[in-house]
Amino acid sequence: MAEIQLKNVCKRWGSFIGVDNFDLTIADREFLVLLGPSGCGKTTTMRMIAGLEDATDGEIVIGDRVVNDLDPKDRDIAMVFQSYGLYPNMNVYENIRFPLKVRKVDPATHNERVMRAAAMVELEEFLHRKPAELSGGQRQRVALARAIVREPNVFLMDEPLSNLDAKLRVSTRAQIKNLQHELKVTTIYVTHDQIEAMTLADRVVVMKRGVIQQVGTPTEIYDRPANTFVAGFIGSPAMNLMDGTLAGGVFTASNVRIEGLSGPDGPVTLGFRAEDASVSASADGAEISAPVYTMELLGDATMITVRAGGAMVSVKAHKDYRIEIDETVGLSVPAHICHLFHKDTGARLEA
Amino acid sequence: MAAASARRRPAPLVLLSTVFLILWLLAAAFPFLWTAWGSFKVELDFFSITDWTNALTGEATENTYGRPFTGAGYFGAWIQEDFWRAALNTGLVCFFVVCTSLTIGTLGGYALSRSSHNYVFWLLITALIFRAMPPITLVSGYLPPFFQWNLWGHLPTAIIVLVAINQPFTLWMLHSFFQKIPKDLDESARVDGCTQFEAFRFVIIPVMWPGVITTGLFSFLLAYNDFAVTAMLLNENNRTMVPKIAAFLGTTYTEGNVMFAVAASVSAVIPLFLLVMVFQRQIVSGLTAGAVKG
Repeated sequence: MAEIQLKNVCKRWGSFIGVDNFDLTIADREFLVLLGPSGCGKTTTMRMIAGLEDATDGEIVIGDRVVNDLDPKDRDIAMVFQSYGLYPNMNVYENIRFPLKVRKVDPATHNERVMRAAAMVELEEFLHRKPAELSGGQRQRVALARAIVREPNVFLMDEPLSNLDAKLRVSTRAQIKNLQHELKVTTIYVTHDQIEAMTLADRVVVMKRGVIQQVGTPTEIYDRPANTFVAGFIGSPAMNLMDGTLAGGVFTASNVRIEGLSGPDGPVTLGFRAEDASVSASADGAEISAPVYTMELLGDATMITVRAGGAMVSVKAHKDYRIEIDETVGLSVPAHICHLFHKDTGARLEA
Repeated sequence: MAAASARRRPAPLVLLSTVFLILWLLAAAFPFLWTAWGSFKVELDFFSITDWTNALTGEATENTYGRPFTGAGYFGAWIQEDFWRAALNTGLVCFFVVCTSLTIGTLGGYALSRSSHNYVFWLLITALIFRAMPPITLVSGYLPPFFQWNLWGHLPTAIIVLVAINQPFTLWMLHSFFQKIPKDLDESARVDGCTQFEAFRFVIIPVMWPGVITTGLFSFLLAYNDFAVTAMLLNENNRTMVPKIAAFLGTTYTEGNVMFAVAASVSAVIPLFLLVMVFQRQIVSGLTAGAVKG
């Protein structure tokens, strides 16, 4: 049982606030991803859980112990670092064995446990090599094996994939997901890559400047972003956001008129996802009608971008769709795919 | 082919640089070679007023000993004048200076490199200032209390003062070595189950060996070559090699004494020569250690 509770955790350096009032309960065996742009406090939050950074305020509870004053070694956690943190003077076998050795685990079990961990990440043939003789992906797997060899209560992973190339990232991502499922250990994973967050997480925490923006399942975050920051951060391309005014259920902005919305009258921000909208047959009567700014061929789709509502708005069309720049196009944006946000605070406006 | 000829340097340049290199080498090595050669002669040859070539041919040496070479200088210095005792003292001083300054230096350098406090910077700057001062200014300050407390003249006193003078340098050097080791290494060790000290002992030190050896070498060289401290603080019986050589030179009334100095200095250089040959890689890395970071 390793439920983690973060009770109003804060981290301040002088007057600078790194993490502000972080309050969250992470369920046992959950895969939680902390997501946000660099400098948003996600790594600091993880380091506070690990004990590498002291919390200025608040309480961190792992299982049923308050761990604020415990050393990292007494918190029963394992961590995978962005730079792997392998010991260069030891070979792979000794690296994986190190946690068992310093924790004085019965030496008779070492070999079996190291071999099992190595097998899980397919490292058996590299056990005698030094870290310097391994590729980036192999080093990452050594770091993973070292984390799992001790079967801790909590895994912490700090952007473990960011130093790998794109292809390796996809396969290692799958491996991490599978490992977590197999080991059934509470995992906290820090990343700035929203695709990693979407694919791995049971729940995602989106952070910005030390403040939690939204907590939810990947689908919730994607389908019902809590504010314009989350809407603009999640998804590729990010959600289209247009400024305009809502009056009597009709949203108007330059080149835009969308009917059938429900919300308070006044200035609002309207968002919709590129893949939800479509190109309409004719420019007349379409919700957005504007000259094409650019057309990009993505292979599986064609992306049309126009200027509307003071922003660039992209829509995904069929992959065979072709149009010239500056030609007027009509985009169909029905009311049910639209999200309304407060113009100033950016908070979601519920219907 | 064009590329190959372009890469080849013009012949006059090659000639010029080779000649320069040989001249420089001669200029640098000549004093030592001259001394080494002359140490096997008698004083009348090596310091001959009549004909300088006597130092090469050894006329007077042949007249005295029947051979152009003699080990009389070495015999006199090592056996008659107890230079072996000075060598032993140097060994003791170097050993304890290196051990003490490395122990304090590694612990202190590690702590400073891992600390995020502001005073680290000022501490290191202070250390640098002390390092920049001529050692003799420190020694003169030490002398009165040492006389008063009757500590003057003993080896441990000189060792302590040498450590104090060396310490800023070793601390500074080890600090920059430690900074090159990523913090992730300590942190992953601590998560894996080490205390801060165990992380230092099991993870950082094994990676640090080259840096510790390099710093140790420099510390050794400083202690070995020191004149100011050892000459001022040690009594006649406890002298180390360098002040002993100076003492030989100071008593030139007796004929042959100056040859003791020549023989002794050649003897003192030989261990250094071997040391540098063995550890040349570490010394070079140490010379450039602070160059980019620190």
